[in-house]
Amino acid sequence: MSATTSSLEPLFTILSYSYATLETNFYKLPGSSVVARYVKSSHQNDPGRTLLEVFLIIFAIRTLLQSRTRADNSGKHFISFDEKEIDELVDEWTPEPLAAELSPKEQAELASIPVIVGPTGPKPKLSNGKTVLNLASYNFTGLAGNEDIKQSGVETLRKYGLGSCGPPGFYGNQDVHIQLEKDIADFLGTESAILYSQAFSTISSVIPAFCKRGDLIVADRGVNFSIQKGLQISRCTVRWYDHNDLNSLEQVLEAIEKERQKKRSPLTRRFIVTEGIFDHDGAMSDLPKLIELKLKFKYRLILDESISFGSVGRTGRGLTELYNVPADQVDMLVGSVANGLASAGGFCAGTNIVVNHQRINGTSFVFSAAMPALLTVAASEGISILRNTPSILSTLQENIRAVRVILDRVDCISIPSHPASATIHLHVKLPSPMHLSPRVPPPSPSLSSSSSGKPSNPLSPTPREAPQFDAELEEKLLQDVVEEALAQGVLITRAKRLRGQELNDIRPSIRLAISAALNKKDCEKAANVVKAAFVKIVGRQRR
Amino acid sequence: MAINPASPTPSMFRKKPSSAMSTAASYLSAVSKADARARGLNGGSTTSTPALSLSSSVTSSSEDTVLHEDIGDSADGLYYPSVPPTSEQVFTTVHTEFGHCANESYRYTSRHTPGEPVKGVVEQDPPYYILITTYVSYLLVICIGHLRDFIGKRFKPSAFRHLMTQDGYAALNSDFDSFYTRRLKSRIDDCFSHPVTGVPGRTILLLDRYSTDHNVTFQPTGTRTRGLNISSYNYLGFAQGDGPCADAVEESVARYGVSACSTRREVGTLDLHLQAEALVARFMGMESALISSMGFATNSTIIPALVSKGCLVISDEFNHASIRYGALESLLREVISQGQPKTHRPWKKILIIVEGLYSMEGTLVNLPALLELKKKYKFYLFVDEAHSVGAMGPHGRGVADYFDVNPRSIDILMGTFTKSFGAAGGYIAGNKALIERLRISSHYSAYTEAMAPPVLTQVMASMASIMGVTIIPETKNSSSLSLLHSSNAIPVPVTNLEATAYPGTAPSTALPNWVSLPPSLCDGSDGRMRLRRLAFNSRYLNRALRKLGFITYGHDDSPVVPLLVFHPGKMAVFSRMMRTRAIPIVIVVVAYPATPLVTSRVRFCLSASHTKEDIDLVLKACDEIGELLDLKQAVGERWPLEEITKRAVELVSMKECP
Ligand SMILES: Cc1ncc(COP(=O)(O)O)c(C=O)c1O
Repeated sequence: MSATTSSLEPLFTILSYSYATLETNFYKLPGSSVVARYVKSSHQNDPGRTLLEVFLIIFAIRTLLQSRTRADNSGKHFISFDEKEIDELVDEWTPEPLAAELSPKEQAELASIPVIVGPTGPKPKLSNGKTVLNLASYNFTGLAGNEDIKQSGVETLRKYGLGSCGPPGFYGNQDVHIQLEKDIADFLGTESAILYSQAFSTISSVIPAFCKRGDLIVADRGVNFSIQKGLQISRCTVRWYDHNDLNSLEQVLEAIEKERQKKRSPLTRRFIVTEGIFDHDGAMSDLPKLIELKLKFKYRLILDESISFGSVGRTGRGLTELYNVPADQVDMLVGSVANGLASAGGFCAGTNIVVNHQRINGTSFVFSAAMPALLTVAASEGISILRNTPSILSTLQENIRAVRVILDRVDCISIPSHPASATIHLHVKLPSPMHLSPRVPPPSPSLSSSSSGKPSNPLSPTPREAPQFDAELEEKLLQDVVEEALAQGVLITRAKRLRGQELNDIRPSIRLAISAALNKKDCEKAANVVKAAFVKIVGRQRR
Repeated sequence: MAINPASPTPSMFRKKPSSAMSTAASYLSAVSKADARARGLNGGSTTSTPALSLSSSVTSSSEDTVLHEDIGDSADGLYYPSVPPTSEQVFTTVHTEFGHCANESYRYTSRHTPGEPVKGVVEQDPPYYILITTYVSYLLVICIGHLRDFIGKRFKPSAFRHLMTQDGYAALNSDFDSFYTRRLKSRIDDCFSHPVTGVPGRTILLLDRYSTDHNVTFQPTGTRTRGLNISSYNYLGFAQGDGPCADAVEESVARYGVSACSTRREVGTLDLHLQAEALVARFMGMESALISSMGFATNSTIIPALVSKGCLVISDEFNHASIRYGALESLLREVISQGQPKTHRPWKKILIIVEGLYSMEGTLVNLPALLELKKKYKFYLFVDEAHSVGAMGPHGRGVADYFDVNPRSIDILMGTFTKSFGAAGGYIAGNKALIERLRISSHYSAYTEAMAPPVLTQVMASMASIMGVTIIPETKNSSSLSLLHSSNAIPVPVTNLEATAYPGTAPSTALPNWVSLPPSLCDGSDGRMRLRRLAFNSRYLNRALRKLGFITYGHDDSPVVPLLVFHPGKMAVFSRMMRTRAIPIVIVVVAYPATPLVTSRVRFCLSASHTKEDIDLVLKACDEIGELLDLKQAVGERWPLEEITKRAVELVSMKECP
């Protein structure tokens, strides 16, 4: 105790000395005594007034300072010109065009987008008049076109009109939204859920709602674009682990923990962000292991189930049902109503605290109008159909198996997707000599533990051994396959990505989305067409 | 599309004067509608219900909204017009959704007078004592909040557990971060996120609730209260569960279901998308347009595709663009002459983003001045018309229409369908190269779900209603049969000379052939009525509030009317008093952080569905509450309430309103 006092002693002397000099100097100023008397007397009359004046002065100074900072932002790099020179510069300046012209390749891509005439579904009609088998739309459980859903949609329309005409905070919060949120929470078994009006904007809004600068996120290297945007907006520290490799995750978590203990840095919010079934390749996370790690290292888990919700599990509840993990073990469970329930929007399920926090801090929840009532009720109806008809999911799984049986053993196709995943990604498999030896991602997560010795750098989103592939060539081949299949009456699509804007280059793929609305025969037929198209197009390349 | 012939028995919709419920025009229109539907079902002939949607129209709505609800005091003017309609008038709308107003003098045209300077209301500062007490009240609440935290943490730690680090997890939301929400906002949480039901039209049904734990949770009481709705973004009154737009949507649900099930670049492009986009482009007077499924995300998902490193985006952070053109010009001179920081390389391009109508301020962008600057400084202009499209201009085409400038002099027009069209989602309109670039390079097309078919239909039907429809006989190859069942026809982008004129009508070929619109909608009279009623209502409320002595912001023609209350406490009281009046009025209140600290405000959002009597009601309520809360602080001429309501038409048509 005495030690601290003695060390502070010089400080006190300095303080009292400077106070004394200040006082003497103040009284040297002309008019200062008037000010002092004024303050004293006004304080005696009305102490509250002094307080108020002090606040006003502080406020005035703050305002002044603020306008000052705005004025001189040009700093030392400023070059001064006179008005005439500026006019010349302004005249000379020619901006680039607002939008760059499309290249012929891009134009071809735009022209190749199929147009469905009439409703989408298992057998939609295209603008060329052909009816095709649909292996591309997200209609896993065949809810698109369901007559019950249509009917309740119309009833809702008549009761609510179409738009909600306001964000949830301002009278856009209709009872149907509350109902759907409750339905989702009940369906998954969480305390609560919150509804966003667009699936893409859901997780890119959830992440920044919780993670601020200084917080820590450990994310999979293969997360989808929406998560990437969320990470970018949140500005928090991000560490990366190898795609769907939980050993790599564990190593990263351990390294972080060690570093934290060494630096004795304060505890911040920490999250693991990954997907249930990955949008990029259909691989599936090992949820029980993930939960184990998250509990061990005390992280919160943000799980994006945009693909898995409504497509796996006995009744379509997603990964938590498939692995029999209670959904409340996942802190923020994000899913897509648009994909999973063939309606629109997205949700985040979790505890009341997690959900209520988003009602104030989830930007796209707060600033955007609530979802149209009709679509909301369609989703509620979808949930009750899934609850009551588990056979839909078993049909879906049978269809997936039927397709996989045919496509799994084709020479020129490699499939990184999990066998239970309703989205099946097909990569081109070319033999190594003629090509840059594409490293084929292993088919199942259990095998995916990195076999190579050195781990990747967790600071960088790119893995140490980035897969090598010729994106241009593969894209072209895949597009040819798509067109060939279309000519044979099967609608499939390449997974469209914004090359160059994604964090890592993603291997081009054709993404099949299997639906329970097709019967097994049609699935087999379609899969055979896809196989034939691959053999024809890629096989030709291999020769 | 099919056009219904004019109903040969219009009297069907007429009120029978002898009826016992003679004031209940809406009641009758509902009955006759139901009747018409029923007859249609039995193979009846011409009704104004679309022939194709008969099968599903059994679930009629108007009965729900008018008949089956326990109507409170029928004299309260919410359910029935206070002025009984005459036998001449035909109202096909439900009064609670879209008010009945036949008085043609309650109309106005939203248009900028050429040659006049663009100016909003002179912003008045309140007296100092108001500012000071406002600061003091914030201070007080903050101090009390900290005190409560201090005491609470010691005596009731369980309530704070989730704000603290516990067993190795940092708090999701620390007590410091959430202070504003917990201690300031939660005091007035009863004014936000109120659950509602039914159509957010002229009136809205509130689901009553109460809180026993200081607004932490709310319990529903199970009762419902209908209030006059001055809060929804329903500028043109298209929030309707009834009427031609809803009929078209119903038909689209029957045909298309509710989802497109994919992204636009994969397999989520339906013929409806192409048709809707072509119609939007025509509506905006632009070459091309794209539609995205969420208005809020439209900006964030497309702007990254337009700007790269070396591009400068100037967005309007000060929100009062209309009065800061001098500042903008000097900023432009500086950035163009200085180039990029450090390197001094010239900027690749400069994009200026402004809002057409500022949603919190009601101010309009000074488009003519901005376009002058644009000529000289060659920046690209992006106008966010979320609130102005549909709501401004003699033809409802937004700010360009309002100022009578060529929309193509603006590079990017963005807007949302949530507000004026009663739908959801947003659009971007621009030249063809721009839109194609966005289709290829922006997030919206590759990753976001495509817009749902019912929403597209609502957009098209309401847009056609604003534009009016020119019937173009279907081209040679298709017979009149195709009007009814040629869903296999590939949508052809319409390139008809007459129809490309801006701001012209929509050619009937631009709509799906199964959309059937009644004559009043095709000849544009319905759209005109909506536009002119909105313009009247906006101008009336804006000017009347000022004549009552309130401080308001914004432009006279703005349908968003902010009324300044300054004091956060008064704001909440204002909201509660409005909601608990004999005829409840539902309004939105906004405070920090959406507005500057001291300018808490009430925001009225007007709609074409309001009648003059509704506005009078609002004025009366404001007058009383304003008196009580000492809100009438504006300087300038004041009129008493009676005079205002009596001279409303005069007030609206005055050139200047001092
Ligand atoms: C300027 C502006 N842009 C975009 C939006 C969001 O539109 P939406 O509600 O359709 O998502 C709003 C709505 O509040 C807005 O005011």
